[in-house]
This record gives sequence, structure tokens and C-alpha cells, in this order.
Amino acid sequence: MAILVSSRGRAPRRRTSARRIAGMSVTHLVLLVGGILWLFPLLWTLGSSLKSDNGFFAKGLNPLPDGLHVSNYSNAWQEASFGSYFLNTVVVSGGTVILTLLATSMAGYVLARTRFPGRKVCIGLVSVTLFLPHGYTIIPIFDLIREVHLLNTLWAVIIVQASTGLVFSTFLFMGYFSTMDKGLEDAAKVDGASFNQTFFRVMLPLSGPMIATVGLFTFISAWNSFFIPLVFTLSKSNLRTLPVGMYAFLGENSTQWTFVAAGSVITLVPIVVIFLLLQRYFVNGLAGAIKG
Amino acid sequence: MQLLDTPASRPQTDGREAGRAAPRPRPGVFQRLWAGRRSYLYLTPLMVLLVAFVLYPIFGSLIYTLYSWNGIGSPQNFVGLDNFRQIVHDSIFWQAVEHTFVYAIIVVPVQLLIALVLALVLNNKKLRFSAFYRTLFFLPVVASPAVVGVVVQLLLSNFGDTFNNWLMDVHVIGRPVDWLGNPTIAMGVIIVVGIWQTLGYNLVYFLAGLQTIPEDVYEAAKIDGAGRLRTFRAITVPLLRPVGLMIVILAFIGSFQVFDIVQVLTGGGPYYGTEVVNTYIYHLAFGGTMDTATQPDVGLASAASFFYGLMLIVFAVLQVLIFRSIAKRRGAGPA
Repeated sequence: MAILVSSRGRAPRRRTSARRIAGMSVTHLVLLVGGILWLFPLLWTLGSSLKSDNGFFAKGLNPLPDGLHVSNYSNAWQEASFGSYFLNTVVVSGGTVILTLLATSMAGYVLARTRFPGRKVCIGLVSVTLFLPHGYTIIPIFDLIREVHLLNTLWAVIIVQASTGLVFSTFLFMGYFSTMDKGLEDAAKVDGASFNQTFFRVMLPLSGPMIATVGLFTFISAWNSFFIPLVFTLSKSNLRTLPVGMYAFLGENSTQWTFVAAGSVITLVPIVVIFLLLQRYFVNGLAGAIKG
Repeated sequence: MQLLDTPASRPQTDGREAGRAAPRPRPGVFQRLWAGRRSYLYLTPLMVLLVAFVLYPIFGSLIYTLYSWNGIGSPQNFVGLDNFRQIVHDSIFWQAVEHTFVYAIIVVPVQLLIALVLALVLNNKKLRFSAFYRTLFFLPVVASPAVVGVVVQLLLSNFGDTFNNWLMDVHVIGRPVDWLGNPTIAMGVIIVVGIWQTLGYNLVYFLAGLQTIPEDVYEAAKIDGAGRLRTFRAITVPLLRPVGLMIVILAFIGSFQVFDIVQVLTGGGPYYGTEVVNTYIYHLAFGGTMDTATQPDVGLASAASFFYGLMLIVFAVLQVLIFRSIAKRRGAGPA
């Protein structure tokens, strides 16, 4: 389409439509080839994870494997402890999502729909953290975690990771709850629902799309997080998450390339699948953030 | 006052309704605090996390900047502003700043240009499978930057030689290139990977921005006989500008904080050749790079971090001022 010249009124109609179809086809071709090239590093990794050690070098840039060496996966899972890294990553990501959803949905709800002394101060406090220079706050956080004796636990990673996305998620929930119909709460009240019941049984279930958006953002950033788990697992290798484990593995055994490829696939596939299933929420969330 | 009515807060509400009928003083502070007790309870988890892990650390790190401290025990050795003096005089810090700025100044325009062109193509209503293509180009965003770094190392370890031979055959290079061993080329690899990994965000941002432009504006332009280029310059560009400014600012903020890919690909090496500010601070705080083992200095790291934070604020303010003056000049000129 991009290459199509604007049709001056005089051009015969049939020719224009033929040219339009040709133009469309070229666009599709460029997009498709470009898209496959764009994803080539990931496709090549997928193929390489099934190659033999010799095949890895013999095949070079060819993503197609020389047979299906699934043993790379079992080796990576057991010998290179990607199995336990995987479990750690699931725990960290799941924990971060639950903590973030709970803290931000509850806060977003009361900030949007109840009035109490200090409400404006709270909103101000949340907003101001957006503008303060974050810089390198990991050191005081590290200290604080040590003081409360959580150093070298997955709890540390979960809590610190959750604290990175709080402000953004709170604002999303606040916006969502403030658009809800007041009649819902009245109806719940008539039915004799308590404050907790109104929130957990009525309002929260109705905020499904926002739960999906915040949950997905949080999950992806927690799953991929590198810096926070790196710092908090420096002296405990059995607590490593997948990205940290991959990094460490590369430093320690830089020759077992097919293991590394298998490990990369183990890290990438879950997040890609989850993204593909729920991408509507992710893309809409991003689009809403830039427009707002 | 649309206080949430719950059975427990009913007496409170009744009291205020009565108060509205006859002018009576508002309920006392303690009564109102008590009425809001559930709200406070619901806010507690957020506030605890926010104060402990977001607000306190920002101010806590300020105190560390005044001490020479290796991170073990509590800081004792008060040095005043000496850490800041040391940072300002450290040539490696300024190199790291330079590398970070070079990274941002190449990544942001190149990436935004590709993303904008792609968004314009995909925004075409007549283009089928547009959502599918968007997914293809967006996908690297959901990949972990650390794993992307590993994958690139994997690729270079393998086809690095093949690619070298190929480049030598066509006489682009005279001798083999050490992809991650030569600082300039390693920086180039980091920049290309950076563009590839985060382009998807900007693609989605631009698409969202384009969709805010009403269809009938384009229709009107078409009826007025405006060509493709004219429509783009007279309609798309001005209407996209507010969102576009936001995208530029976000892209710079992200680029200035680059860490993961650099740490995984080169660790800031060889010999600080690709050190960016965040890897520099990391190495100060948690010990040496792969090349050089140094004693951690948390005070120095905090000072560097705080100083860099201030630099970024100055940069952000400058950016806004420049954009505003451009907008003003355009506004003052003939329409």
C-alpha cells in the first residue's frame, strides 16, 4: 500500500484496483519476510536447542536441526539445574503477581470509591514517587531486606520485584474502579454485604479486564527480571531465576551451547505462550498508558 | 461526599444527613478517621511497600553518599562530599556517561523511525492480518533481555566466524572482527540488540497514537484532493505530536537506564569499553568486572547514582523546554 501512488481521478478504475492488489501483495511479502527475519534469532535458538554438539557448529546459521536431540532439554533441566531455576521463576512471578494485584486493587478501590481524611495525601504520595529520581535505590533496599532477615530468600525477590510496579498498577485500578456504576455498591449494600464482601465478591470480580492487564504486565516483567533476582541471589545459587541462571551458566560453562539454547527456549516459551493468549490485554494496556 | 455505605458506617452517614438538615458542625476528626478505618486497612499493604521499598530507599541512598563504606556492617567513615568529588573526577564514570548517551542517541531515533514507518503501514484499515504482523514485530519485547543477551552471544559464537569469512570474501573487512572483544563493535552489537528488543513498545505506542486520529479528518483531506505525502505532513504529523513527544521522552528514559543486555553481552568490558552508567554503578556497589576485581564501595556507588539521577532530571527538563520552544515557534509561524 505504501508504494501506491495516489490515483488521480482520470486513471481507469480497473487498472487502479489491479495496481492496488499488486501493491498489497508486495506489502504483505515485505512484512512477512521482514517479520520472519525479525524473529530469526528466536527461531534459530529454537532450532539450535535440538541440534547435536557437532550439528550446532556444522549447521551454522541454518535454524533447522540435524535431528531431534531432545536430550539437550533433559540435560539442561537436570544437570544445569534449569528445572529448579524454572520453579524459582514460577514462584517469584506468581508471588509478585498476587502481591501486586492484592495491594494495588485494594488501594485503587478505596482511593477511587471511598472518602476519608488523608485521601488526597495518599494520592499525592503515590503520584510523587513517579517523579522522584529512582536512580540506584537497590543498596538501601538490600540493607532493609537484610535488616528484616529476608536476605537469600525468594521472598526478598518477590517483595522487591512487586514494589517496582506498584504506582502504575494502582493508577490503572483507580481509573477502572472510578468508572464503575455506583448502583453496584448500593445493590450489594441492600443485600447486606459487608465492606469486604462488596469488594471481594462484587467489585473485584467485575474488574476482570484490569486484573488481566495488571497481572500480565507484572508477570512478564517479573519473569524476565534480571537485575533484582541477580542482586538478591548473589550468594545463593539455588535461588536463581531463569534469566540469572542463564547468565551464570554462560559464565561458568561457556562451551555447552546446545544446553544454553535449550535453557533459552525453556525461559522464552512460557512467556511467549502466555503473551500470545492474553496479548489483547497487554497491547490495550500499553495503548491506554500512552494515550492517558 | 459519596462515602461508601456499609452497614457499619451507617450511623455515621445518618449523623451527617441530620447535620445537613440543620447546620451543625461536621463530625469530628476521630469520627471520620474511624469511619474510614476500612479504607486505611485496604491502603496499608500498598503504603507499607511504597514507603519501605520506594520512598525510603530514595532518601536512604542519599545518606550513603556521605560515607566511604564497603556495604558490610553500618557506615562509619564519614567523608562528606568526597564521594561526589571522586565521581566527578573519575574518567571511567564520564566514559560510561558517554557510552550511555551514544547508545540513547542512536537507539532512540533509529528505533522510533522504524516503529513509525511500521505503524503507518500496519494502521492501514485495508491491510489484512495487521494484528498478526504487529505480534511478529512485538514479540522480542516479551523476551527477557538477559536471555536475549545470551542468544546473541550464542549466535556470535557460532556464525561470528561464518559472518567474518563472508565479509572478508566481499572485501568489506580485511581481517576477522572480534564481535564482543572490540569496544566499538561491541557497542554496535549492543545498540542493534537494543533497537531490536524494545522496538515493539514504540510500535504499539505509535499505533495507539494513530488510532486517536479520527477517520473523517482523512476523508476530508481526500475530498480536498490532498496527496499521500501532504496528508501525512498536514494531518498525521501534527495530530500525532502530543503522543509522539511522550514516546520520545519514554524512549530516552528507557535508554538511559540500559543495563541487562550490556551486563550479559560484555559486562561493560573489554576494559570499560562498553561500560554504561548502570553497569558502572553495579560494579562499584557489588565488586569488580570480569577484567578487574575491585573492593565494593557503596558510598561511591550511591553518589554516582544520585549524581546521574540529577543529570537525567536536568536532561528531562531541557527536553521539555526544547519541545515547548519548538511548539511555540511553529504556533507563531504562518499556519
